[in-house]
Amino acid sequence: MHELVEFAVEKALELGASYAEARFEEKNGTSLAMKNGNPEGLEILADRGIGIRVLVDGGMGFASTNVLTKESVSEAVKKAVKLAKAASRVRKEPIVFSDEDFHRVSYKVKMKKDFRDISPEEKLELLRKIEEEVKATGVNVPMRYLGYSDQMWKKIFVNSEGAYVKSKIPRVSVMYNLVVFENGQMEQAPFVQRAFSGGLELIEKDEPWNWAVKDVQALKKLIYEGQKPPEGRVDLVISPEVAGIAVHESVGHPYEADRIFGREAAQAGESFVKPDMLGERIGSEAVTVIEDPTLPNSWGFYLYDDEGVKARPRYLIKDGIITEFLTNREYAAKLGQRSNAAARAINYNREPIVRMANTYLAPGDHSFEELIEDVKLGVYMVSFNEWNIDDRRYQQRYIGREAYLIENGEIKHPVRRPILEITTRALWSSVDAVGREVEMFPGTCGKGEPGQGVPVWMGGAHARLRDIPLRRP
Amino acid sequence: MFDVNGFILKKAKELGFNDIVVLAYETNRRQVRFANNEITVAKNWHERKVELFVELEKRVAGTSITELSEENIERTLKTLLSNMKGMAPKEDYYGIAQGPFEYRDIPETFDKAIVELDEPNEYVESAINAALEEGAKRVAGVLYTDHNKLYLTTSNGVEAFDEGTGIEISVRAFIGDLESGHGTNSVRVLKKFDPESAGRKAGEIAKLAQNPEQGPEGKFDVIFDPLAFANLLSYMSFMTSAYAAEAGFSFLVNKLGQKVANEIVTIKDVGNMPNGYGSRKFDDEGVPTRETTIIENGTFKTFLLNTSMAKKYGTETTANAGLMMPHAWNIVLEPGDYTKEELFSEVKRGIYITNVWYTRFQNYVAGDFSTIPRDGMFLVENGELKPIRNIRVSDNFQRILEGIKALGKESHHVHWWEVSTPVSTPYVLVEDVGITRATK
Repeated sequence: MHELVEFAVEKALELGASYAEARFEEKNGTSLAMKNGNPEGLEILADRGIGIRVLVDGGMGFASTNVLTKESVSEAVKKAVKLAKAASRVRKEPIVFSDEDFHRVSYKVKMKKDFRDISPEEKLELLRKIEEEVKATGVNVPMRYLGYSDQMWKKIFVNSEGAYVKSKIPRVSVMYNLVVFENGQMEQAPFVQRAFSGGLELIEKDEPWNWAVKDVQALKKLIYEGQKPPEGRVDLVISPEVAGIAVHESVGHPYEADRIFGREAAQAGESFVKPDMLGERIGSEAVTVIEDPTLPNSWGFYLYDDEGVKARPRYLIKDGIITEFLTNREYAAKLGQRSNAAARAINYNREPIVRMANTYLAPGDHSFEELIEDVKLGVYMVSFNEWNIDDRRYQQRYIGREAYLIENGEIKHPVRRPILEITTRALWSSVDAVGREVEMFPGTCGKGEPGQGVPVWMGGAHARLRDIPLRRP
Repeated sequence: MFDVNGFILKKAKELGFNDIVVLAYETNRRQVRFANNEITVAKNWHERKVELFVELEKRVAGTSITELSEENIERTLKTLLSNMKGMAPKEDYYGIAQGPFEYRDIPETFDKAIVELDEPNEYVESAINAALEEGAKRVAGVLYTDHNKLYLTTSNGVEAFDEGTGIEISVRAFIGDLESGHGTNSVRVLKKFDPESAGRKAGEIAKLAQNPEQGPEGKFDVIFDPLAFANLLSYMSFMTSAYAAEAGFSFLVNKLGQKVANEIVTIKDVGNMPNGYGSRKFDDEGVPTRETTIIENGTFKTFLLNTSMAKKYGTETTANAGLMMPHAWNIVLEPGDYTKEELFSEVKRGIYITNVWYTRFQNYVAGDFSTIPRDGMFLVENGELKPIRNIRVSDNFQRILEGIKALGKESHHVHWWEVSTPVSTPYVLVEDVGITRATK
């Protein structure tokens, strides 16, 4: 396959491209679902192809093919070059890429328990185990939708500036949607996912059935013991899961340089952050947010991005100050910087765009008990269901699924659907203390058109927000 | 491609599979993305692939094959077989449709002019220019052209072919950071394509939206622009699939025959809609697509079904296969009899929402959700529009349907990034919609 990828780049240069890259990707895997105890069937994924991206006269073109012959790849290169030329005529300034150091490297994530050696029936057993453990709680859960999937991602990336990156990353995940009906009331834990880069041993060690059991028991308790949350200004302690969605939505996304410069304006939106806000305070000194693709076995793992740039941890906020945006080569050049390797594509037939990987609220120096003990009246939000944020990433809302009242430093009864509806600046300025332990949660981050759902982790430590106007439904 | 389909069918039968569906696609898709009044990237996809569904003693499996050599096809089928042996059966599987069927051409779904279109950039420029003429400063969006061929072969006597084209544009226009508007146009034949109207609408709304003030919260009569209401109906379309109901993702669970909307509300799925972006001659089992009334005068009539799920519930397929998951083709909210002006004059003090995005559910079975208005949003007071900002719709799906009190008479066909299932809807007036905003 190397020859074909290199051929694509050479061909593009021959046809007049000033820059060319080609990316071969192959994905193989299985997915299984179980609905209310019934196996829903097996899906086998086997997909591969080559995507070619070029710059010609400052215009960008992209074409892909899944017919892996010289003729077909040559045809795709011709199309990419032609499209780039035509696009350059509807541009004010040419697209320029930042200068980078490129490497010839090969890396892979090892599996202790290789999912390719395991039968679908054995994988289905993981879902059966969730079924059984959920049933064993005695909680009435009439709707149970469970999913398992694994994929081996192989890539070869070559560009006209000397990059050659070969990688092999296995990804494995389990998800569930559980609907609890008790006492004439219904609560739901939808789209809960546990996911890693690596082998099946990671799922087994994580024991997703325990997460499911914890969820249905918490929902049952909420139904029988849940009370209205306090209204008005209170303190709020958010869990690593809630901190994770908040950093992803209100820090990661608005710091994507392509949004800041308007490239995503018609789809995923723009950003309240402007280039001159680097160095500006956005949160309290307790807030540091890190974006790190290199975390071992993380769902968003990679060591080189899809432009061949070496990955590293990125400090988006340090002690409350905006320190770095997420960039690819195009927007690094606009900022007069080097790329920090945030270019990702979900498949060979997609262009690399600026994306997150693993985003988290960095740990502070408080134990969990210390966070709770001097809260007079507040709420501890453990998990969330409904959430959304405007397209400038400023006005957001998170509704608690599992949540508890905090009174005089103690965690009391569950509360129903506490609503945090707040601006980004107010949210991060309200944090007065952060916990010591970091936990991560998987998600699929949507962006781009056509949509590219990329695997990410989001998480962090517990955080305490002071004087928050909490709402009730 | 029928020779490939035939080969797969023959080999699958030889291996002992019972129900077999082979759906081959040949697609040509072109995209031009633009932002800040210039093209950011142009793309082309050419793809040949076969989607394969097989059943063996109630064990079901699916895959897609992109490398179509005989050797790879045989290897894929053997892999499926070996993986399925030992698997537990899907006890509620009841088979696929018995063909053959007769198909009718759907008007305005194929146009040679789109296939032969060499260069679509002039349409992009005309949309950008229309928005700029209305006062926009920055224009962003995307244009697609589509050319698809579908070849379906099943073990139950179906051999069917469909060929379709499409061209569409989505345009968002900005004046400042907070002033924007959005317009779309999605059609199947070139002579009906009107990119300028999409650009003009985006520009007009952006201009009207200038200098917005913080919006109010509480309960308001809300006029939803077709672009905004299409988003909600597109989410609802998923919830009308019987699969979504069984999996716990639908507020329509256990509501067959019940009133779920105001009686002026009739919602259909129309698979064979002329010029509909989601129209196709047949579903994934080969059943000819048709019109299915989902909600009739406020009463919930049926979930969308494939043959297996229909048999499970003792009824007939609605021609919405998806073999694993039935799904809608084109959702249609039947228009009413209000002109746009009459609709706005119905509202003494309310809100006009031109677009929404990021619809998310607190609870799918209850239907509680929120969604964020984006682009122009306006306070409507005695026929006047005052731009506002930073509000959120926080309500319940069924309550929204029950609260519909007037429908415009003109229908608009909407399909874009946020509305993946095409929706035809008029302007919709809903009473007492929950509006919230950030308080800090």
